[in-house]
Amino acid sequence: MSAQLIREKEKIIKQKRIALTGNHAVALAVKMARAEVIAAYPITPQTPVVEKLAEYVNNGELDAEYIPVEAEHSAMSAVIGASAMGARTFTETSSQGLGHMYENLPIAVGMRLPIIMGMAVRTYSAPINVWGDYSDVMSMRELGWIIYITQNAQEAFDTIIQAYRVAEDSRVHLPAVVAYDGFWTSHVLQPLDVPEDEEEVIRFAPITRSWVKLDLDNPAQLGAVGTPEWYWEIRWQAVEALRGSTKVIEEVDNEFGRRFGRRYGLVSPYMLDDAEIAIVTYGSVYGLVKKAVNKLRSEGVRAGALRLRVIRPWPGDLIAKYLGNVDKIMVIDRTINHGGPLYGPMATEIATTVQRPVYNVLATIGMRAIDSDMIYEAAMKVYRGLWAPGVPYTVGLRGGYE
Amino acid sequence: MRIETVWVGRGGQGIVTATYIIANASIIDGFHAIANPEFGAERRGAPVKAFLTISKEPIEDQEPVKTPHVAVVFDDKLLGAMQFVIDAVKPGGYVILNTGKSPQDAAALVGRDDVNIVVIDAIAIARKHLKLDVPNGPLAGAFSKVMGFPSLQSIREAFETQLGKAVEENFAAVKEAYEVAAVIPAKKVDASAKPKGIISTTSAFLTGPYEVVGWREVNKAGAVFPGSSFPYATGGWRIDKPVIDHSKCIMCRKCWLYCPDDAIIEAWVEREGPRGRKFRMKMIDFDYQYCKGCGVCAEVCPTGAIQMVREI
Repeated sequence: MSAQLIREKEKIIKQKRIALTGNHAVALAVKMARAEVIAAYPITPQTPVVEKLAEYVNNGELDAEYIPVEAEHSAMSAVIGASAMGARTFTETSSQGLGHMYENLPIAVGMRLPIIMGMAVRTYSAPINVWGDYSDVMSMRELGWIIYITQNAQEAFDTIIQAYRVAEDSRVHLPAVVAYDGFWTSHVLQPLDVPEDEEEVIRFAPITRSWVKLDLDNPAQLGAVGTPEWYWEIRWQAVEALRGSTKVIEEVDNEFGRRFGRRYGLVSPYMLDDAEIAIVTYGSVYGLVKKAVNKLRSEGVRAGALRLRVIRPWPGDLIAKYLGNVDKIMVIDRTINHGGPLYGPMATEIATTVQRPVYNVLATIGMRAIDSDMIYEAAMKVYRGLWAPGVPYTVGLRGGYE
Repeated sequence: MRIETVWVGRGGQGIVTATYIIANASIIDGFHAIANPEFGAERRGAPVKAFLTISKEPIEDQEPVKTPHVAVVFDDKLLGAMQFVIDAVKPGGYVILNTGKSPQDAAALVGRDDVNIVVIDAIAIARKHLKLDVPNGPLAGAFSKVMGFPSLQSIREAFETQLGKAVEENFAAVKEAYEVAAVIPAKKVDASAKPKGIISTTSAFLTGPYEVVGWREVNKAGAVFPGSSFPYATGGWRIDKPVIDHSKCIMCRKCWLYCPDDAIIEAWVEREGPRGRKFRMKMIDFDYQYCKGCGVCAEVCPTGAIQMVREI
């Protein structure tokens, strides 16, 4: 699908095509990666993941400890504890659930635990809106987690497997979150290829247990007090590990491509070589953006697109390389940074990276649908100079600048 | 080839599952498909809509379906509120309708002669094979018949994957629907004509057309006035309605005691006595605005005065 198909000499492992929703694809990836401790609380739109994993454990298909916690704060606490004991862990959340576990999120980073979290993204209340936008995952950008944003069920499946390998790499040892569109991926049934032999997944991502963990023979205290003399130095290790994880993420992605035939990169560029206008976005709407780019190209506008797949660590060099020579950069942000400099979080970061103003468009907030024509029209307005950079415009939303 | 379809019905009728089944079966047959339900916190009976796109090419763009080739309607009472879905079907396309009415009456309800209308009594078939009011299996069978895909064998496999239970019963319902679905061909098709309307992309619920106001006019903090469910008539959710035979009713009020929706009322009626004297007496009646047709009243009635009668 979005993966760049590669033809390598090495043999690509045998796979079969099945149909799953994004949520069930994630659950299957976790099962194939043999998570040992799962603690999660169901919240729309992530519920089917938790249900499916409980079913796997109940049916004996997955030999894991399943902890049905009473809330997300405990879910994160439980996986932190389990991970500190050396177990491969998984949890999943959305929206207010993430808010509820927020206190524990930086602890997983500081303790350098390779916890993997899935996230079917959803907007924050109020008013209550159970549907998709990127408010939740964008609100954890400062904490030190590796953040993947995937486009479809296939990529969510593949990325969970990659994330285990990256997080448990001894150069990284950081928690990672794999985000995918609430409903538009989580509840959409799509075809995907999965290895016929489940063992291939664990062969690709063996449990290393290389991280700092509790051990009876070698007692230690984890998560202890870090006085002012030590706190920054320990935290800086995590900062450096996150920065250095870019290399590991690329390595793992390339090896995954060699074995499974699908590779995604830190960012996915589309027709950017000679582009004079680039549309930057993330998540499932990238398919619509590509369609809009094709339409723009057919009318003689040299358009291109870029999808952000890994936003933490921020692949600034790559983004600058792809977008550096593009005249007009339009960033479609799928959540709002209330009162921020550009209103869209990714627009702000792209503007900083390319060191000039970008065109900021807000769309799909609270899961309001858009189609490729609406993206095309917005891009045309930017192309013709009707819109100004540095101002928040909206597509498909009443309110905001249009 | 790219076939876009929209499925409308009510929460509990298996709309989402139906699109999952057809998408899964199409994938088994070698097509690419995405089943794209548009749902939220639906409750049983509330209108639900789901999209399904099937293509020979991989589908990367999840375009909202605005003018479908096929509309599948699970409840003929939705034809009024969701007329915009029928209007949006491409000329020459299909409307597959679950109804107990005769094909001619059903076609008159749809009210278009430039689309093929497929009539199927999916409720009766589901009741026969599954003892349930879940019409999704039969409608999947009708879809397979008129479109020519996915194959019945693949639908059966999809039931195994998606449901994992009651596969035989569901498959029997699919097969019967495949055989009996009545097709009324379009009378005149102007393939170049555009559909009368499009399905709006802005609404998640589509309970009907609503007035679009600007952000300044929306109530502050999303406050809802009046804060009551009174205006929401839930009677439209019924498949059967209770009908009472007053000559058998002994006014024991057991039905009133058990009605979960407070839809049993005691109405005053005026009657004439044997010598011409007029007097008022109480009789059991139903508040059809809110009666969901659960059938509890008929179940508990000691004299069998209440009967459930098919409404769709």
